Amino acid sequence: MNNAFETIVGEQTTIRGNLQGDEDLTIRGRVEGTITLSKTLMVETGGIVLADMDVKNAVVSGVVVGNIRASEVVQINEDGRMVGDITAPRVIIVAGASFKGNVDMGDIDRARPEPPRMETTERPRSTFSSRPTPASPAPARPAPARTRERAAPPARKEPERTSRSTRASKPASKPAKAAPKPPPKPKPRRSAPKPPSVAKGKKKVRKKK
Amino acid sequence: MANTVIGSSIVIDGEILGEEDLTIEGTVKGKIILKENLFVEQSGVVEADIETQTVTINGQVTGNISASDKVEIRSDGRMVGDIKAPRIIIADGAVFKGNVDMDV
Repeated sequence: MNNAFETIVGEQTTIRGNLQGDEDLTIRGRVEGTITLSKTLMVETGGIVLADMDVKNAVVSGVVVGNIRASEVVQINEDGRMVGDITAPRVIIVAGASFKGNVDMGDIDRARPEPPRMETTERPRSTFSSRPTPASPAPARPAPARTRERAAPPARKEPERTSRSTRASKPASKPAKAAPKPPPKPKPRRSAPKPPSVAKGKKKVRKKK
Repeated sequence: MANTVIGSSIVIDGEILGEEDLTIEGTVKGKIILKENLFVEQSGVVEADIETQTVTINGQVTGNISASDKVEIRSDGRMVGDIKAPRIIIADGAVFKGNVDMDV
């Protein structure tokens, strides 16, 4: 009856829902929903598509509102109007076409959000080293500060005594006494991001209980 | 003549509304509302409720049909569902199971 080599959505037909197929699709009517094709999608003049599309090629001569993801080419012809994002290795926008949205051709390298994270993690380390110095004269930084805050009065006295006697003895004494204490070390990492803004005073207040 | 053709490898899950003829060679699940004629070809599989003017079935239909003119199940056709239409033709070789109501 008709040229049944491809699928055609006629001018007076509306399809709402999900469309999937392994052949070419020509839209002259209206389609709303999602379209997944392994071949070519053609939206002809007069066709209206409100859908997210995942196709091989897309040729738009009508109106498309939605995102197109193509594995080969997306072409917007002179009569075409599109609002949405295009993700495809090749994009052709012909003179006269209207388009608004993002274009991602996937080949460009990015370098943005990750580095700042790294910096923030490094900052607390620096503040870390600076923190214990005003707090106590002890050379071993994270350990004495931690023990202080946690164990309250008894802990405070111990590091002070050891510090007065010899600095070298500290590491030896601490592991014996501070058997339960090693866990505190990972804590600094967690709270690491906080110190820069929180400053030193707040931590002491917290742990004083 | 404007005509919509759903190819054999196409699967549609949703509803189809139209004011022109529709030929289905693929799979449609959901709902079909047409003002003209529906043709389900041999490779067509329809699991939907259909409301149209006429229906010609050469393929497989599961669902209820409400036609304002005629429903025809050809010899390759298989249908399970109710038919409500003023005229019904079931050809020799067709498979049909359901209720028939010709009092529209």
